[in-house]
Amino acid sequence: MAQIIIYPTTSLILSDLVRRFGHEPLVMMEQIREKINTVGIDSPPLNITGQEPKKGLKYAAVEVPAGVRGRMALVGPLIDSAEAGIIVDEPDIAFGCMGCARTNELTKYLIRQRDIPLLEIYYPRTEDEGKEFVKQIATFLKELNNNSKNSESEEEAN
Amino acid sequence: MKPKRVIKISSEDEKKKDNITRIIVTNSESMLPSDVMMKVYHSSSDVTAKETCFGTMINGPIESVNKVVEDVVSMDPNHIFVKDRGFLPGDERRCRSSRGGGPRPGFHFLREEVNTLPLISKGLEAYYKGESPSSGFEAKQKLDAFKLKYIIESEEM
Amino acid sequence: MSDEQNSTDLPIYDAQKRRVDRASKEKSVKIALLSCGSEYAGVQAEIESAAKDVNAQLVYPEIPVDELENIGRDFGLEVASPDLKLLMARAKSIIKGDVKVDAVLITTCFRCAEAAIVRNEVRRYIHNNINLPVISYSFTERTKAATLLTRMEALTTVARRKTLLSREKQKGLTVGIDSGSTTTKAVVMRNDEIIGEGWVPTVKVIDSAENALRDALEEAKVSKEDIQAIGATGYGRFLVGDHFNAQVVQEEITVNSKGAVYLADRQKGPATVIDIGGMDNKAISVDDGIPGIFTMGGICAGASGRFLEMTSKRLGVDITELGALAVKGMKENVEMNSYCIVFGIQSLVNSLAKGASPEDVAAAACYSVVEQIFEQQLQEIEVNEPLILVGGSSLIEGIPLALGEFLNVDVLVPPNAHLIGAVGSALLASGYVEE
Repeated sequence: MAQIIIYPTTSLILSDLVRRFGHEPLVMMEQIREKINTVGIDSPPLNITGQEPKKGLKYAAVEVPAGVRGRMALVGPLIDSAEAGIIVDEPDIAFGCMGCARTNELTKYLIRQRDIPLLEIYYPRTEDEGKEFVKQIATFLKELNNNSKNSESEEEAN
Repeated sequence: MKPKRVIKISSEDEKKKDNITRIIVTNSESMLPSDVMMKVYHSSSDVTAKETCFGTMINGPIESVNKVVEDVVSMDPNHIFVKDRGFLPGDERRCRSSRGGGPRPGFHFLREEVNTLPLISKGLEAYYKGESPSSGFEAKQKLDAFKLKYIIESEEM
Repeated sequence: MSDEQNSTDLPIYDAQKRRVDRASKEKSVKIALLSCGSEYAGVQAEIESAAKDVNAQLVYPEIPVDELENIGRDFGLEVASPDLKLLMARAKSIIKGDVKVDAVLITTCFRCAEAAIVRNEVRRYIHNNINLPVISYSFTERTKAATLLTRMEALTTVARRKTLLSREKQKGLTVGIDSGSTTTKAVVMRNDEIIGEGWVPTVKVIDSAENALRDALEEAKVSKEDIQAIGATGYGRFLVGDHFNAQVVQEEITVNSKGAVYLADRQKGPATVIDIGGMDNKAISVDDGIPGIFTMGGICAGASGRFLEMTSKRLGVDITELGALAVKGMKENVEMNSYCIVFGIQSLVNSLAKGASPEDVAAAACYSVVEQIFEQQLQEIEVNEPLILVGGSSLIEGIPLALGEFLNVDVLVPPNAHLIGAVGSALLASGYVEE
C-alpha cells in the first residue's frame, strides 16, 4: 500500500478511487481534522494561526501571500510524504483549501518535482472519458503494487 | 456566539484523536439515502450518522467507521463513493447557522464532483467488466486553419 | 480618603474597554465579509474578534452555486482563483439584495496581485451600486485584531451614522478636539466658520486637551458653557471624549476624510487624503467624503514629520522655516543613501560637509519623506485626484511640492490643513446641535 498525494487535494472521486484500489490517499481533510482537533488553540474556523504561514516559508518565500503559505503548511507535508501522485487537471470549481490559484499552481509544481510515480489526467466529460479515467487510475495504482512487490522480491533475492 | 470547543483537554483526548468523519455519497438508482441510514444503524452502534444534501456523514471511532463504510459500499460498490471530512458533523466552527450563513467552502466543489459521479460509475462498471474504452480523452485542439478558412468562405457566400 | 489620593488610585484608563462599552450600547451592525485567504493566513479569528469588539456580526452571503461558473463574465473580471470568484459572486448577491447587510468588508492577502485587482474593483462596484459603507484591507499573518479595529470602527460608524456623515456644513457653536500623538488641536466653530483654534504639544492627554480648548475658546471669545456639542478624535479620543462628555467620539479615519473634503471643498466624488502628522500618517481613498481604503502609518520614522524635525534641528532652523528653505533648494544636489531617520539624516549631514546648501538639504529631506510615504503607505491606495494633503507636515511647503512632483499630480493643501481632525470633529458634532 502506497501513500498517494492527490490533486485536487480535497477530491471525493480521487480519494475514493485511491482507497478502492488499495492505497492510502493523502488528503487535505485529514490535515484539517488534525488542525481543528489541536488542543489549546482557539482560532476558528480552521484553528490556523499566524504560525502556519511561517511554517509555509519552507515552501514559499515571505513575498508570497500569507494565504498561500498557510495553505502550503497543510499541503506541503502531504507532498513531502507522498510515494506516488495523481493530478487531475481542470477541476471546474473548488474552494477553501483549493480556492487559491497560486497555491494550486505551487502544489502541482511541487508534486511534479518529487521523483515519484505520477499520473496526470483530466476530469471526464463523456462516458468514454469516464471509462478511460477509471481505467488509467486503476492501472496506475495496480502497477504501484506490482512495482513495490517487485522491489520487495528484489530485496529478498539480494 | 463563542465557538464550541470540540476537543476538551481531558482523558478523552486520545479517544477523540481516533474519531473520524467520512461522507458517503450515493449515485445509485436502486438505493435511497434512507437505505444507507438503515445499513449504518444495522452495521454498528458506535457511530453517529447525519444526512446532508449530498450524502450521509458517519462519525465515530476509525474501526467502526471503516466497517460501516465497507458495509454500505458493498450494497452497490460502483455507485457509492466515500470521502473524508475534517470537521465533525454540525461543528459550530463550520456550521452555516452559527457562522453567518454561506455554505462551507468545500460544498461547491463536492457538488461539482457529485455531478461527475455517473461518469465514474460507468467507468467502474466498464473496468470491472474488462471493457476497453472505445476512445480515450478527446484532445482539446484548436480549429484547423483550413477548416476555419472554409467556414469563413461559406459564410461569405 | 482625600480627593488627591483618590485620583492617584484611579485604575489605568482602558481605551479598548471604553471602545467595547460604547459599541455595546449601539445597535448591532451586520457586516458582509468578502474575503479570500483569511482562514489560511491565520487572521480569520482576528477579524471575528475585531467585529465582536465593535458590536458587529459577520455574515457570508449565500449565492446560487451555478452562478459561479459564469461569474467572471458576469462581473467582467476573469480571474483564476475560485475563492476570488466566490468573493465576486457574494458581492453580486449583496447588490441584488438577496442578502441584507449594513456594511461590507473586503479583505484579501497582501502581495497578491490578482486579489488586489478584485478587491479594488469589488469595492468600487459596491460603492457605485448600493448605498453601503465598504472598506477593503489586505492582511498578512501578522495582522492582529487591534489593526483591524480602526477599520471596523470606521465601517460601523458609517453604517450607524449615515445622516451624520452626509453633513456638509457646520452649524451652531461646536468644538472639535484632536488628541494626537504629537500635538493636541482644538477648534471652535460657529455657523460653518472656524472662530478659534488651539494647538499644543501632547503631554498629558487631558491637560493638553484642556489647554488647547482654552486657547481656542479665548480666541473665539466664547465660554465653555455656550458650546452646543463636542467631538473628539485622535489617539486620546476615548479619554478626552469621556472627560468633556463629547457627543461624537470617532476614530481619525472617518473624521479626517470628512474634514479634508470639507476644508478642500471637494465633498462629492472620489478624492485621496494624505495626512502626514508628527508621528503618524494616513493615506485614505475617499468617495463622497466616506473612507474606502486606507493605510495608517507608525511603522517608519523616515516617513513622518519627525524626520523633518530632525532635519531642521541639524540645519539650525525652526521647523516652520524648513518649508520655505526646501522650496528654494535642489534635491538632486544631495545624495541620499537611506530613508532611515538615522542613516538618512547622516546622508544629509554628509552632503552639507560636501558643500550642499541648507536649501538643497531641506528639499532632499522633504523628497525623502514623500518617497518613503509612497513606499510605506501608497502601495494599497489608488491615487484619485484631487489629492488633498493635510496634517501638520502639510504646512512645510516642500512636502506638497515634493509629493506633487513625485506622483505627478496637483496637490491640494486646504486652509487650516493642520487642524483637520479638530475641524472634522466639530463638523460631525454639529449633527447633535438641536434646531
